[in-house]
Amino acid sequence: MSKKTNLLLQFFSSVKLTIVLLILIVLVFILASFLPQHRETAEVVKQLSPNAAKLFLFFGLADLYHSPLFYLLMVLLSFNLIICSLQRLPVSLKQYRASCFPEPSGLFENIPDNRVIFTDKEKAQASPILESCLREKYGNSKKSETERGLLFCAERGRFSIFGVYAVHLGILIMIAGAVAGSLFGFEADVNITEGESIDTVRIAHGKEIRKLDFSVRCDKFTVELYDNGAPKTYRSDLSFIRNNQVEYKGALLVNHPLTFADLRFYQMSYGVSPETKAIMTYSDDRQKSAEIALTQGDFFAIPQYNIHAHVLRVEENVMQMGPAVKLQISASGKDFPLWIFQQIDEIAAANPGLFSQVPVFNPGLFKPVVFSLKRLERQYFTGLHIVRDPGVPFVAAGGALMVAGLLIIFLLPHRRIWVKIQESGTKTAIIVAGRSNRHSAGLEKQIAGLRDLIRRKIPS
Amino acid sequence: MSHETIFSWVTFIYFASFVLYLFQVVLDKNFWGRTASLFARVGLAAHTLAIFWRWKASYDLGIGHVPLTNLYESLIFFAWTIILIYLIFEWRIKSRSAGVCVVPVAFLAMAYASIAPGISDKIEPLIPALQSNWLTSHVVTCFMGYAAFTVAFGCGIIYLVQDAIMGKTEKKTGISGRLPSLTLLDALIYQCATLGFIFLTIGIMTGSIWAHYAWGSYWSWDPKETWSLITWLIYAIMLHSQYVRGWHGKRMALFAFIGFASVLFTYLGVNYLPGLHSYLKS
Repeated sequence: MSKKTNLLLQFFSSVKLTIVLLILIVLVFILASFLPQHRETAEVVKQLSPNAAKLFLFFGLADLYHSPLFYLLMVLLSFNLIICSLQRLPVSLKQYRASCFPEPSGLFENIPDNRVIFTDKEKAQASPILESCLREKYGNSKKSETERGLLFCAERGRFSIFGVYAVHLGILIMIAGAVAGSLFGFEADVNITEGESIDTVRIAHGKEIRKLDFSVRCDKFTVELYDNGAPKTYRSDLSFIRNNQVEYKGALLVNHPLTFADLRFYQMSYGVSPETKAIMTYSDDRQKSAEIALTQGDFFAIPQYNIHAHVLRVEENVMQMGPAVKLQISASGKDFPLWIFQQIDEIAAANPGLFSQVPVFNPGLFKPVVFSLKRLERQYFTGLHIVRDPGVPFVAAGGALMVAGLLIIFLLPHRRIWVKIQESGTKTAIIVAGRSNRHSAGLEKQIAGLRDLIRRKIPS
Repeated sequence: MSHETIFSWVTFIYFASFVLYLFQVVLDKNFWGRTASLFARVGLAAHTLAIFWRWKASYDLGIGHVPLTNLYESLIFFAWTIILIYLIFEWRIKSRSAGVCVVPVAFLAMAYASIAPGISDKIEPLIPALQSNWLTSHVVTCFMGYAAFTVAFGCGIIYLVQDAIMGKTEKKTGISGRLPSLTLLDALIYQCATLGFIFLTIGIMTGSIWAHYAWGSYWSWDPKETWSLITWLIYAIMLHSQYVRGWHGKRMALFAFIGFASVLFTYLGVNYLPGLHSYLKS
């Protein structure tokens, strides 16, 4: 290996570098959380002097999470993680394969006398009991005869050594998933008015327009409110149409996305479109028509009476008399304006003789046809967020691996317990000691527990 | 009597418990510590009861949901998790001295919930964004993490105090004798930080899964997300420096302090920054 690569390896394999990188990343995050990011940038830049604005944009301060600085830190961190892990792996493998015997040097040193169990039982009598104690607690036990006494060893959580690799691998997989998502995925926001459909979307953070190989129709959008006026449900009934065939129909709610083809659809926003729908009926002596939904500019006809109507205006409130529709009726070759009020019965009752004074308010002007306005419906549009993110499975798998690794490291630490039994004058001495790859508080407790168990089984 | 009345009683009980813990440190009597602990336990029992009561009350209103959905409810739950985790640790280590630093945090959370202006204690129906099965697991794991970090912070403060006293006298006498040993505190800080780290990791993960279903992106760089990651990284640095570089003692106590400041900013501070987690803006 050349000297240069060696230096580079050394640089990347240092845990100091990890800590420095993590601190730098923390600083970037703190800065980013206080500086306005992408959406509000334009306004901030406007307020800065031209030079300050240039500087602001040059350092990517406007979008730190997608800035070269942040990418560089992430790349360095990834290299650092990979090289650190690879360099440590042989050490861990050695630890994993390490035999219990000979015991680590200095293991039985500095153990105060009150922690040593003395018994009158002979070594040969006590040994099987010790072995059973270890088996009871750890399910395994090994034996070795040494010059200074008989040694037993039991251990737990040996694979915990590899937990740290699971965590680091998990993080790398998540980073890879995030990169895959940003390279091969896209996000788009689109508004669809009720009854209409779209088959192109504008990709977010760019000008590209993408044509889908299917179209999405919003059949209905519903807002439900609680009694206090807070929103309860936003719901879009969507149809996914390919080759003029509805392939899939579904209700889209917040927290319940729909998936079609390889895209996921989210309920993001909604609004009221400028067009208002008038729901009307007409009747003659015998029957009543079905409801017809009309917006400004629509035409409809009543063929049996040769009446053609053109919707001129749809108004929420005309002359303080409530919702009304202005129609242009063509009958017998002439055009007549006609106002249809929703509350015409009340208006007529409050103004006797209204229809003779203002015939254009009379819904039954064209006998025997009587028009009636049932209600106005505000037309909603639904705001969908459309996502394709092939990185998600990787991020999910990486996250799961990381949590599993953390649990293994912290909840199942690798612990080895040695028990030495030796003659000590007229008595037999039993000493318990242990080693752990983690903080020793838990180990001390286990050793104390084992000592208690032995004391109960082998009374002094 | 309503659950709000119980909450205000619980606030006073925690305050009393804090004062008693203080007595225990200053006066050398086991009696104070035992009484302080008893108060904290009674407070926790009443607290638990009142949370369930509020839960039931929301069902009586016909808008049943778990009481974890706005700033008021989260503060109440934060205080609950702090006392719960603290009492578990107190029982495990058989020492009551960290209470004087931990219990007041729970008291302050309760007091802040009831007196801060603009915090509504009304049971509100769930807006669509919060109607998710991930709500409970996300909030519970995050607050368990916050609470464990709070206990680590309490132990860290005691560590620094103990260290300052011991530095002068070299002997465990007076107040120092009634505080746990530096070794034990060091181990406790590590254990609490570890526990908090695991909970916070799971909390961020569940939040991320929820965001995937609700907003269409598992990560949006919302200030709360960013700050939870900052907190996570601070504790990650802490645990690494402990394990790899062998740092311990005072440095860990300082980390517990910085980490807790970051937890507080993640929880409350980011509400003053624009973002998606606006349910907490009371």
